[in-house]
Amino acid sequence: MSAIAANTAPRRSPFWRAVISGTGIVALIYVLLYALYAFWQPDALSVYTFTDLVNNSTPLALAAAGETLVVISRGFDLSVAGVVSLTNVLMAVYPLDGPGGALVSLLMCCAIGAFVGMINGILVARLGLQTIAATLGTMIVCQGLALVILDAPGGTVADFVTYTLTDTLFGVVPIAGLFLVAAVVLWLAFRRTNTGIGLYAIGADEQSARFSGVAVSGVRITAFVGAGILYGVAGFMLSAQTATGNPTAGTPFLMLTFAAVALGGTPLSGGRGSLVGSILGAGTLMLLQKVLFSGGVSSFYTGIFQGFVLVLAIVFGNTVARLLKKDEAR
Amino acid sequence: MPFDASSDQRGRQKLDRETVNTLVVFGLSIVLVVCSRFISPALGSWSQVLTVLILASFLIILSFGQGLVILIGGLDLSIPALITLGGVLTTTWIGTGDAGIWYVLPAILVICAMVGAVSGIGIVWLKVPPFIMTMATSIVVASVALGYTSGTPRGGSPSGLLWLMKAWFLGVPVVIYFTLAFIVLGWLLQNFTALGRRLRALGTNRNAALIAGVSVNRLELVPYAISAACAGFVGMMLVGYSNGATLRMGDSYMLPSIAAVVIGGSSILGGSGTFIGTVGGAILLTTLGTMISAIGLSEGWRTIIEGAIIVGALLLLRGEFLTHIGNRMLTRRK
Repeated sequence: MSAIAANTAPRRSPFWRAVISGTGIVALIYVLLYALYAFWQPDALSVYTFTDLVNNSTPLALAAAGETLVVISRGFDLSVAGVVSLTNVLMAVYPLDGPGGALVSLLMCCAIGAFVGMINGILVARLGLQTIAATLGTMIVCQGLALVILDAPGGTVADFVTYTLTDTLFGVVPIAGLFLVAAVVLWLAFRRTNTGIGLYAIGADEQSARFSGVAVSGVRITAFVGAGILYGVAGFMLSAQTATGNPTAGTPFLMLTFAAVALGGTPLSGGRGSLVGSILGAGTLMLLQKVLFSGGVSSFYTGIFQGFVLVLAIVFGNTVARLLKKDEAR
Repeated sequence: MPFDASSDQRGRQKLDRETVNTLVVFGLSIVLVVCSRFISPALGSWSQVLTVLILASFLIILSFGQGLVILIGGLDLSIPALITLGGVLTTTWIGTGDAGIWYVLPAILVICAMVGAVSGIGIVWLKVPPFIMTMATSIVVASVALGYTSGTPRGGSPSGLLWLMKAWFLGVPVVIYFTLAFIVLGWLLQNFTALGRRLRALGTNRNAALIAGVSVNRLELVPYAISAACAGFVGMMLVGYSNGATLRMGDSYMLPSIAAVVIGGSSILGGSGTFIGTVGGAILLTTLGTMISAIGLSEGWRTIIEGAIIVGALLLLRGEFLTHIGNRMLTRRK
């Protein structure tokens, strides 16, 4: 309930609230980290480096954005790994060239994500399965499908997708960044709808949300479908990045999305948080990796780093959530 | 209907549900073995059954640990990494021959258990959700194994482990006796010791367990440590089975370990489930896996079937389905 109260009762001005929220904190971390990066590597401020960074972060940012929808509604969605792998493999095995082909591919990725999300939603909201269990099942099935379509890394993504989506608009704006902007705009509109408010309500307290007239299962299914679509787009953007297919491409996403969500100030216990924070969280993770390993260190250290960052991000997220709660209580 | 004491079936229903599930799972395994003769005459023979049981023994031991973690409402995703750790340490520290096997093997198991306890500490004190914490441990352990072996594990299997996995006694492989003993011990631990009862209490209702005087925080570490030690031990068994370790040797065991527990009738929410049911689930899954290989389906299809089985089992076990079957069987018997 506290989350609803926080959203509706303006104790402080919206600007100030945004600054001390999880989103504000992660934005601050990002800026500081970027300044550090620019201090070490002066070309960090060039358009080229920034575009590269945005391109690298976009798939994870979109996936984390999707995960946030489910986490806010108090759930976990593991199917992200499956959907990203599946869409990546499809993009590589059935490349469609040209702008029209890219659009069809994008729609196809969205449709797959939406379908998987729909199944997750039905399993959870209508059939009463626990979110981890249901999405674990769909993740496994999707990974199996990806293996059936492509049993070893290979294939080529259409040139148009690879070149256009990693390019810049007017030489300054990274095109991949536009996808993130679109996601943020849609989110800001969505969170003002009844369903958007319902999302926070069922995350904070499902029982009271139901008694207050929130269509709980409808909202849950919407959250999973929205999440699935975002995973589909993430798979699309990942394919544009890697230009090839890999049936296990989505596996690293499983861990990193949760780290990004937690870092972005969305507590894993649901009921609060923001998609914008998760996008920034994903950006921070990728930037951190870049700052620490710009020389290209062996995967030995990357794995250890990821494991520790994951735990630290969650501990950090828990701490921020606790501090904010204390602040609210005053 | 007049009241009589036997109409109070609360305790009985629960028992029946678990019993029915176990019977169904074992029955299905037998039916599968019999049916498999129609697919290929090589299947369903006695030696084939023994092969399935040997393969199932890995899964049985793994899913004992996973089952305890699920019993308290957690999930252990670090099993593959710990299998690899157990295997890699065995081949590099002992290697061929048996030098120091009597103290090095237990030492490796203790190391694995400590890794599991670290996961537990993160879950209990840092409040990281179990599946995320074990995922984090998993990637750190996998990276350490990769760095330690620099990509290619050296060494072969100690002869003691070769004996365990390859020797026969009275027409049956030694490992099957060993697994039977493990099953009995596991069953006793889970059902007849204070530890087993406390774990069940913790999984059923954490607050109630706390009020009942169970030191829940320390107790919560135990299943993760046991699960990690089981995984490490399976790593050793796999070393004996295939005479060497690889960095991917555990990869194919994570999903089956969860599936076996879920099919065996444990609630994924924790608090219910029997090890005997899990053993049935492990045997059923292994039988199915052998059949899938015999038909010649690819790895992808096997994964799809496993996923579908997990979801199907969850749906079947979710509600009153098995209780209904149990009741029907009871009333008919009357």
